[in-house]
Amino acid sequence: MATREVISTGNELSAMAGVDAGCTFFGGYPLTPSSEVMHVISDLLPKVGGTCIQMEDEIGAICAVIGAGMAGSRTMTGTSGPGMSLKAENLGLAQMAEVPLVCVNVMRGGPSTGLPTRVSQGDIKQASNPSHGDYRSITLCAGNLAECYTETVRAFNLADRFMQPVIVLLDETIGHMHGKADIPTVEDVKTGIVPRKSFDGPAEEYFPYECNATQPAVLNPMFKGYRYHFTGLHHDKNGFPTEEIETCRKLIQRLEDKVMAHQDELELNEEFMCDDLTGEEGEVLIIAYGSVSLAAKEAIRHLRADGIKAGLFRPITIWPSPAKRIKEMTDKIKNVLVVELNIRQYTDEIERASGRLDLEGLYKVNGRAISPHEITSKVKEVF
Amino acid sequence: MARTLMRFTGVGGQGVLLAGEIFAAAKIKSGGHGLKTATYTSQVRGGPTVVDISLDDEEIFYPYANDGEINFMLSVAQMSYVLFKSGVRKGGTIVIDPNLVSPTKEDRETWNIVDIPIITIAKEEVGNVITQSVVALAIANTMMNAIDKQQLIDVMLSKVPAKVHDVNKIAYELGEKYAKEAMA
Repeated sequence: MATREVISTGNELSAMAGVDAGCTFFGGYPLTPSSEVMHVISDLLPKVGGTCIQMEDEIGAICAVIGAGMAGSRTMTGTSGPGMSLKAENLGLAQMAEVPLVCVNVMRGGPSTGLPTRVSQGDIKQASNPSHGDYRSITLCAGNLAECYTETVRAFNLADRFMQPVIVLLDETIGHMHGKADIPTVEDVKTGIVPRKSFDGPAEEYFPYECNATQPAVLNPMFKGYRYHFTGLHHDKNGFPTEEIETCRKLIQRLEDKVMAHQDELELNEEFMCDDLTGEEGEVLIIAYGSVSLAAKEAIRHLRADGIKAGLFRPITIWPSPAKRIKEMTDKIKNVLVVELNIRQYTDEIERASGRLDLEGLYKVNGRAISPHEITSKVKEVF
Repeated sequence: MARTLMRFTGVGGQGVLLAGEIFAAAKIKSGGHGLKTATYTSQVRGGPTVVDISLDDEEIFYPYANDGEINFMLSVAQMSYVLFKSGVRKGGTIVIDPNLVSPTKEDRETWNIVDIPIITIAKEEVGNVITQSVVALAIANTMMNAIDKQQLIDVMLSKVPAKVHDVNKIAYELGEKYAKEAMA
């Protein structure tokens, strides 16, 4: 696949990706450290006939995005942790009513207003269940500049495929770092767009929520002659509220199964310098994601120069987690170090997947990045 | 080449961020790898700001300069100087504006501290205080011999409005002149 070289920041690349992937509506409210996503897309969208609107707050922003999504547009919003908290209720509405949208969250220190200009990965657990109730979040996490672009593009295609919100996690470091990214050409991105399914039979036979147990709803754009009812309540095949026991059960079970039955379409990991890890004593597996994986890669170079065979496992789709692959890797390699800019938020998931309680961890929550040196020191200290 | 790590420090609003972007872009355009990161506080103007620039012929993963390994720092604010000087390796070069930064005697023994009145040069000799970041850029590049001069100037000019091209070219030449004098 042809690529092009761009010198940019993660936030700018994410905005560019939205436009190239066919986004025509961005509803937002600027929030450090995500503001440049909105800043850049507010310049780009009108040039391609799209719309960017700054709403009164983050709640208004996600509501506008849901509305545009119902009208058939590819839509996007961007924010940081406090904005995610505000958007939570309506992310749940989009899950329940099955409206696709892309939500970019550039993580900063939390909880609450926390450390606005500092880096963190404190929103990992929140991303798995931002709103109450049962559904499966799809969350992608960019680990370098190019992925700020490619994962945003992938998010748009997954949102339309699964008919639900897809969260793209960046963090302050990745969002603001400025450097080179080799990204796909616009033509390749456009060719890769798979539009959402639509129903083209007679309007009286259109039942958006009447679908196979592992498939998403088929929502035709509003105002095109196909009517349905839109609600956050449990609903029937037309979208009208119902308390009928079996209909309610099937609906929520389908929200779970439409994602989990197709995990193979979602899973994406990077295994860096893992090829020669055979399970011999002394080998080290580091698990990290997002900007922390950059420090981990540099640490692995240093560890290998010192004769320690180390590799990195990096989930890119973090929800649903690559549980099977985590189990395979952690079954094989004894010395496992999880490195996160939070306290054990993904470690808990890795423990669940691996069935192991003896994983080592390196965590930091003071708004500063974890350096390669801190990782190499930790590896040498604990293994 | 080994990795070159530079750190520009000041306070928010002084334009040190742009200087970092220019360095990274110029290195990339000459076929290498360059990354710029900036950290700042929620106090957007007046808060301590630090820009780390990493340049290498090989791929760079970790975007920040490792503390203790920085080859070169430039500082135009006392508060930032005090906060970030410890990142510079012993014997490394620190350029300060003596009107704004006052290093201690121990500092001068630990590092190669060079006094260049960057703001005064921009304000009085170039005639436009905004050009201080280009004066700083020229000083850093001359002292570190990091990137082909013309490549750096071309990238710099591509990032500033055409109407200020001439003053920025003057600013670069003056920065280079002062750096060469300091090194002599």
